[in-house]
Amino acid sequence: MLLALLMVSSALLTLESTTRLLDPLRSFVGTLVSPLRFVAETPYFIGGEVDEVLTDREQLQQQNSALNQRVLELSQVTQQFLALRQENERLRGLLGSRRRIPHDVLVAELIGIAPRPNSLQIVIDKGTSAGAYIGQAVLDSQGLFGQVVSVDRFTSHVLLLSDHMHALPVEVNRSGVRGIAAGIGERNQLRLEDVPTTADIREGDLVVSSGLGGRFPQGYPVGRVSSMQVEPGAALASVLLEPTAHLDRSRHVLLVFPAEQPVVEALEPSVELTLDEPEEILLEPQPTEETP
Amino acid sequence: MNPAQGGWVILLTVVLAMLASIVHLPESWPAWLGWWRPVWVPLVLFFWVVEVPHRVGLIAAWIVGLALDVLVADPLGINGALLACLTFFTWRFYERLRMFAVLQQGLLLLVLLSVYELLRSLVLAWVRGDAFSWAVLLGPLFSAFLWPFVYMFLQRLRTGFRVA
Repeated sequence: MLLALLMVSSALLTLESTTRLLDPLRSFVGTLVSPLRFVAETPYFIGGEVDEVLTDREQLQQQNSALNQRVLELSQVTQQFLALRQENERLRGLLGSRRRIPHDVLVAELIGIAPRPNSLQIVIDKGTSAGAYIGQAVLDSQGLFGQVVSVDRFTSHVLLLSDHMHALPVEVNRSGVRGIAAGIGERNQLRLEDVPTTADIREGDLVVSSGLGGRFPQGYPVGRVSSMQVEPGAALASVLLEPTAHLDRSRHVLLVFPAEQPVVEALEPSVELTLDEPEEILLEPQPTEETP
Repeated sequence: MNPAQGGWVILLTVVLAMLASIVHLPESWPAWLGWWRPVWVPLVLFFWVVEVPHRVGLIAAWIVGLALDVLVADPLGINGALLACLTFFTWRFYERLRMFAVLQQGLLLLVLLSVYELLRSLVLAWVRGDAFSWAVLLGPLFSAFLWPFVYMFLQRLRTGFRVA
């Protein structure tokens, strides 16, 4: 019996490391155990609620004025942004290139962190029922965050940019130099791979996603160059990035949907249902009374 | 007496152990504390196999492992295989293990769980290319330290609910 189980296990291990055949199994078991995830996160949910209840008037006012300030600042940026976008579209039109597609996003909340310090994954509270899919790009408020690697019905796992299994095509915003930003397993560091020593990269440069792999949308910030070192005689420079996303702090992230796909339906029916239900309940009993 | 009594207690403690292995610390705490997380599921399973070996089967242990794989995002099958091995080993020697003092059991658990974690991280390094780190031994160390308390708690549950 033990031998049989060991054989099944090794079969599963080999199947999963070479193919994607086991995704449905993982998703099924994941759906079964997903209540555990929500239970495990309750201390933080309750903590958040208690915090909200206990904040006093003064704190709220302070927070409110800070937020108002922020809205002002952001709306100023947005005004500029609208003008710039139009200008950009005009210029792109002149150049004959395709217009950029805006993306739809869905807010998700963190409900778990992979329990090992050396595997950088988080669990979020949106699954296939909200339209999440494997390979989907995930952002936080500051930049690219990671991608979805496994989904079940109510939750999904997100692999962070800085996991050592993760890499994505990027370009330096200032000079347009392309490269690949790979995670090295450190929470706050990425490495730009295979950069020639002559590449035009400086410390402090913003690195954005180039969208070349087709998986991540183009033009979202990935990180800033924190160090660029050239060893004499070496063929490649070693360039380290500091991710702009708060990989270890963000509790809310955004799932990015390609624009062709209709906006997630999961949110809308619930609104319609609450509006329609009273009428239906009133209407339906009447025919049943007439039939006898 | 009902021979199959208190199965739900076993199930409940195993589920609680799974819960304890995915609860995460506040983000503001240093990440290295995560290495000290006790390996709860093998610990609890070990207790039940030693005390009521006829109630814990290899397949059940394997299925618990499968659920654990999904919960902690490990490759499918790895925890199942290791838990089944642990259960098998404990089955072989449960009569002798019951005679051990709690501290002796703790020492044995230190060895068993270290082997468990080492095998696990070796398989992870092989299948997924994870970096191997000796820090994985901190979890078993802390588990062995906690064993007397876990033992007392579970023993009280076992006698209280007459699990047999």
